[in-house]
Formats: sequence, C-alpha cells, structure tokens
Amino acid sequence: MKSLRPIHGLLLAASLGSLAGAAGSSSVSPFRDVTREAGVTFEHHAAPEKKYIVESMSGGVALFDFDRDGRLDLYLVDSLTVDTAGDPKAARSALYRNLGGFKFEDVTDKAGVGHPGWGMGVCVADVDGDGWDDLYVTALGGNKLYTNGRNGTFSDVTAAAGVGAAGWSTGCGFADYDRDGDLDLFVARYVRMDLTKLPQFGKDKTCEYRGIPVQCGPRGLPGESDFLFRNDGNGRFTEVGDKAGVADRGASFGLGIAWFDANDDGWPDLYVANDSMGNFLYLNRKDGTFEEAGFPRGVAVSEDGSEQGSMGIALGDYNRTGRFSLFVTNFAEEYNALYRHDGAHFTDVSFRSKTAASSLPFVGWGTTFFDYDNDGWLDLIAVNGHVYPQLDKARLGASAGYRQRALFYRNKGDGTFDEVGRTLGGPFAVERVSRGSAVGDLDNDGRLDVVINDLDGSPQVLRNEVPDAGNWLIVKLRGAGANTNAIGAVVTARAGDVRHVRLVQSGTSYISQDDMRLHVGLGASTSADVVEVRWPDGTTTKREQVKANQIIEIAQPTTPSR
Amino acid sequence: MLPGVMLSLVISLAAPPQAAPPPPEAAAAMRDRVLEQAAAELQAGRRAEAKKLLASAAERFTSVRAMLQLARLQSGEGDAAGALATLDRARTLAPDTEEVLSAIAQVALAARRPVQALLALEPLTRLAPRIARHHYLFGVALMQAGDMPAATEALQAADRLEPGHNLTSIALGIALNSRKMFGDAKPLLLHVLEREPDNVEALAALAEAEEGLGELDAADSHAARALAATPSHPTANLVVGMVLMKRDRYQEARDALERAAAADTESPKVYYQLSLACARLGDSAGASRNRELYQQKLRAMEARIEELRRVGLPSRGEMPR
Repeated sequence: MKSLRPIHGLLLAASLGSLAGAAGSSSVSPFRDVTREAGVTFEHHAAPEKKYIVESMSGGVALFDFDRDGRLDLYLVDSLTVDTAGDPKAARSALYRNLGGFKFEDVTDKAGVGHPGWGMGVCVADVDGDGWDDLYVTALGGNKLYTNGRNGTFSDVTAAAGVGAAGWSTGCGFADYDRDGDLDLFVARYVRMDLTKLPQFGKDKTCEYRGIPVQCGPRGLPGESDFLFRNDGNGRFTEVGDKAGVADRGASFGLGIAWFDANDDGWPDLYVANDSMGNFLYLNRKDGTFEEAGFPRGVAVSEDGSEQGSMGIALGDYNRTGRFSLFVTNFAEEYNALYRHDGAHFTDVSFRSKTAASSLPFVGWGTTFFDYDNDGWLDLIAVNGHVYPQLDKARLGASAGYRQRALFYRNKGDGTFDEVGRTLGGPFAVERVSRGSAVGDLDNDGRLDVVINDLDGSPQVLRNEVPDAGNWLIVKLRGAGANTNAIGAVVTARAGDVRHVRLVQSGTSYISQDDMRLHVGLGASTSADVVEVRWPDGTTTKREQVKANQIIEIAQPTTPSR
Repeated sequence: MLPGVMLSLVISLAAPPQAAPPPPEAAAAMRDRVLEQAAAELQAGRRAEAKKLLASAAERFTSVRAMLQLARLQSGEGDAAGALATLDRARTLAPDTEEVLSAIAQVALAARRPVQALLALEPLTRLAPRIARHHYLFGVALMQAGDMPAATEALQAADRLEPGHNLTSIALGIALNSRKMFGDAKPLLLHVLEREPDNVEALAALAEAEEGLGELDAADSHAARALAATPSHPTANLVVGMVLMKRDRYQEARDALERAAAADTESPKVYYQLSLACARLGDSAGASRNRELYQQKLRAMEARIEELRRVGLPSRGEMPR
C-alpha cells in the first residue's frame, strides 16, 4: 500500500497550460552450494501453479544438534498441496544428521519426524528440560511437538502437551516469558483456511496482480488469532493468549516471530511480523500479561505508515550499541525495514542504512544477522522469492520475477551496509524461490554457514569458505534449570573497546531456527577480554581472557530450584 | 481546492465538439445566437444570465458546446458536481469525444475525484495514445487515487512521448518518491531544477528524495527553499518534520508535521509521523489521536483503491497483498 501524496493544484494547473500545447567486482563468492555433495537430497513440494496461498508459504529450516555430538544437524520442513492434502505421506520433512566434513545422513525415518502434516515452520527448544533438543513443527491443521528420545528417535507428544494449535500456524518460538524457569511457546497463525472452501484462483479483482489472475489473499481472507502456551511444568501447556493479551483477536496475518528483551528490563518481550498489517511489539508487564506497543515504539509499519507484508525477522546488534535492532523482510514494492534500537524507541533507518532500496523488487523471507567474515560486524542475509509463478507472464515493472536472488549485506561498520549479493556471485546470484533460512556453523570452523529451504525443490546448503576470515568465538550456553539452552540469555563479549552482544533465540528468521550457539567475530583480536552471560533469570556469569577460535561452553551455576 | 481560474483554463481548452450530430441550419443559427448572447452576458459580468442562456441552449439544441461552456462556469464557481453532471450529459451525447473526456477529467481532477477522472482518462489514452498530456493527467489521477505503480507507468509513457517536460518529471519524481525509489527520483528532479531553479514543487520533491536517501542536510536546505516561497507547502513541511525527527528534535518536528497536516489533511504518513513525535514527547493522548487519524486516512486510501477495482479500472498496484 502506498501513501497518497499531495498533488498540488499548482502542479496540475501549470500542467494544463503547458502540456496542452504540446555492477561491480568479480570477487569469488565466499559461499559454495554443497547441497548435493553433502548428501542432502530433500525436495520441498509445492503445487506448480500455487493457486492457493496455502501453497506458497511453507519452508522452515532448523539447525540444531539433536544427537549432542557437537555438530549441527539439519531439519527441513516439507508441505502438502491442495491436490495431495488427503495423503499426509505425500510430503516428507527431513532430518539430516551431520556426520562431519560436510556430509549428512538422512535419519528421518528412524527419528520419526518425517510427516508432521502440511508443514510450515519449525522452532527448537529443550521443552522437557532433559538436556536434549526437541522440535516443534508448525503446520496447517495442527502442529507437532516431537520430544527427543536421546537415541536418535523422537516421540510425538503433541496431544499430551496440549500444543496442537488448530488452524494454520506459521512462526513459533520458545521463551520463559513468566520467568518461572521453564519454556513457554508462542505460535503465530496466518489465514483461516478451509480446504473445502478454498478461495477461487483469480476470482475477482482482489485475486489479481498486475492484471493477471493469481492466488487470493491474504487480504480479502480472514486472518487468525495467535497462541501463547504457558508451560505448566508437568509436560503440559495451557493456552493463555487471551489472558496474556497476545491472542490477536483482530486476527492479523501472523508469520515470523522473535522473543527478545526490547526494553532492557530483563523480561522477554515479543515481536510478531504480520503480513499486510501492522506488526506487534508485545512488552512484557512482568505479571503474565503484555502491552502491545508496536506503534509508539516505531516498529509496526513503514516510515510512511504503510502496513507492509512482513515475513521474517532478524535480530542483531549490528551497530554495536549493545541493543538489538530489528530487520524485517517484506513484500515486493515495499522495503525491508531496519528498525534501529535507540533505547526508548526504534527508528526506521532502512534507507539511511542502505538496506532498503535494493530490497524493493524482492519478496523477502528468511533473514539473519551474522558476521560471515568474522570482522566484528554483523552482516545480513535476506532470501527472496515471489509468491505468484504467474508473475513471469506479467509486466514486471520494478519488481523482480518469480525466482529471485538473495540479498547479502556487508556491514560497513558505520551504520550502513553494502548489498553485495550480485557481485559476490555464486549461490547468491542464482534466482530461486526461497522461504526459510537458518545460519549456523555446520563444520565448527568458526565461519558461519547458511541453509535455505526453497519452495520448489532442492534446498541450499551454503558452505562458508571466506578466505582470511577474522578470529572468532562460539559460545554454547548450558542453563541450570529446565531451560537448558538458556534461551533468552544474552552474551556480551568484550575485546578491547569493542563490545559484541548476542542473544539465544528459539524461533528465528522466517519460521526457522538458527544455531542457538552464539558466534562472535573478533576481527584481529586473538581473545575476548571478558565474556559475560546474563542468564534468563537475571544472574550473570563472567569468563575472562577467553582465547579466540574455539567453541566454549559456559554453564550456569546451579541456582535454587523454583 | 483548485481555483476557478484554473478551471476556466481547463474548460477553455475544449474545442467545439465534432462528434455531436449537426443540427438543422436554422436551429444551428439560433443556437449560435444564444451562445453569442451568453458570451456577451459573461463579458458584461452577468454570469447568472450567461448560465441561464447556456443551460437553455444545452436543453433546446442538445448542444455539447453549450454544455462545455456551462460546465466551465459551474466549475469556476466551485460547483464541481454541477459541472460534472453537465459534462456527463455531454458525454452521453458525444461519448468518444476527446474534448468532452478531457474536460471531465480535468474538472474531476480539480475536484479531487480521481475515479471519475480516471474513467474519462482511461479511454482518452486509448483514443489518443500519442498525446502526452493525456498520459500525464492519467498519471496525476492515479496518484490522487493512490495507485503509484500505475501512476509511474502512465507518467513514464508521457515522458517517452514528450521527453524532459518539467511537469512530467516532477510528477514522476513524486510518484517515485511515493514508491521509495528515491535514487531514481533525485536525478529527475535535479534536472528540472537545472532548467527551473526556483520550482517549488521540484524543490519539495527533491527534498523528499534526499530525506529518503538519508541526505538530511541537503533535504533540509531544499525544503527550506520551498518553504520560503510557499510556507504552507505540505511536502516541504513533512520533510522538515522528518529531518527533525531523525535529529531527535521532536518538539520542532511535531510543529512542522502539524503544519504539513494542516496543508494536506489526507496524508497517512504525516499523521503516522505525528503519532511517533507525540509518543517520543511523552504525549500519549496526542500519539493515540494521531494514530487514529493515520488509520482513518489509511483506510480512506484503501477505499479509493478498492473503488478503482470496483469500477473496473486497471489498478496495477500491489494490492492483492
């Protein structure tokens, strides 16, 4: 939606009289697509024509170490289509075990996580506090909670836990919002979808794009409320969305979510990206309820007040102020929004930071801040792909086509970025229809790799081979209580005058899960003077003189149980 | 909003229609006499008499020319509805007449009735596809209706037919600004200012492009120049407000934004920024009030786009989402 601009009388008046009479360098890409050689043969299913919106939105990906061997494993979510909806086995999500050396083994069948239904997204947490990561998969028609059996298998405990969540779920994420020591779960939902009454493809003007018939929605279709499941501590959850004030009874089109402490009061707040509607920032009132403050804090809409088609969320201290700014991917002809965290409020610095203009032609999805070259500054990736295959038959105007390349922003260290995706070449120059993406160090070499789940076909496993990367540190946290990953903990690594701040998150990017270990690029510094952890309960732990180029684990000192 | 002078200019552009059926000779002579009489009355400052005569000629002789002249008087008096009713009747008699369609478009545009204007301009651009002015007006009407992608296309068509025309360039710059394509808008507007350094619209639009690009000093300077000439200019005041917001000078920003809102009461952006300024000043009541106004304006804009669709106009925007 574009703003109506003042059209001056003067302009028009004058017109009536007067008119009446008359790229870059060829550097080697730091990332290489190793999907095939890694043995990742997963294919995401989607109907060729995407006649229905429900066939356009899937594709989460998770990086997590399910077998605790120290290597990140990979889970890719698949979806059904309207034609295959009656056959749940027509879609097969896949779990790949990381064998090391960028080799993966499909262990889906043994794990029992291949058929969550019409899959959408995924988030990871150790839900039962046993020290082994569990999987939560969102879907159309009911979500799945798979708990880790510690032997390569998972159990579907959805019904027992009470987190099935009917309808069409999308983004999810765990956090201890009530600080009672265990992990709660937020689930965003998108459109109310009845497969027996699907909106007819191209049926009217609301189902047209540039004059061609396309899938309907989300505008014109009913939205859905969201869920907050409070962990009861006994394996069961209670849905408290209404009571907490995060149920979204206005039924927005919820997609990506991010838990983080937006106002530095030590309590988890929640940001929800809504497609074509204002985004929510729920501030935690510390009493089990939240106050929605997206507008006054400046993170609801674009700078001109447009309700953008928001999809994915990246959270990062890109300007090294110690605060987490928000980057939100949006629809084509809109810009990806960078909301800089200025303390009391956020400021839309999208154009000033030079991340906006390059994003205008693209429909953005997965996104993550990460320091790909370990120079100490967080860079940024945003993967793209349109929702209408029919677009390639239409006039494109300013927009790219159905398949779109990814955007890769190199942080210049002065509050601005260079978009270098095209000039980097390699996988970033290839046009795909991407959705979820996740970042993590798949080979533990200190250089962060990227996995992207595409809507049509094969995913992309992108190995980071950047030469001359700086020094680095990866911090794995071990929480003392039920929150064993210390989700919500903040790590500050100081090296000289430089302070790097990172957050442990469950539910990132677009309906995906980044590596929960925290990576810090240290540049030329060979050590961090101090690594300080602020645990979710507010206590802190410090390590001094931590040498670079290693993965360290920091365990939370045991505290009295709640 | 538009002065009668302009509307007179609009209607005077219309030449005698060619598509109306020729009356019998006697009737034609009588009609011409009535029209001459009307012109004389008008010359003498007796507008009411002139209108009566024109209405009579329109009625008795089904004269499209009389209708065009009557519409000119009506719109000159601010009676856009009356003028458009008269012109609609003329259109019934001469449906594909360039002059009638053009008059309808211009009166409707002046009255800020973009859908009505578009319903005339859309066939006009097909009837006379090589006339830059029609595409230009089509673009301006689409801008009024809020369909900026389509407006851009129409204005680019006008620019292709008559390259480098200042007004087209300015309108295109404004449309591109609306689409956040500030980098594309800026050179167009700079080019206009090379030819016409004090053009207020170009200065304000350039300031907006620069503000969008983060060039705050240049934006401030160009907005100040626009405001020196037109203190109430909505875009220039908005730019000043945006620059002040980015400099954390919220009180002054609020003042500038309020001036922008007073000059352009339909802009969602102004009210959104006002709500932010109030929130940052701790004025939660002001923030809520302006947020409500912002949402009203946003919904009104959506309704206009919806109306475009409803009447079957080819909205080429991104509206499905």
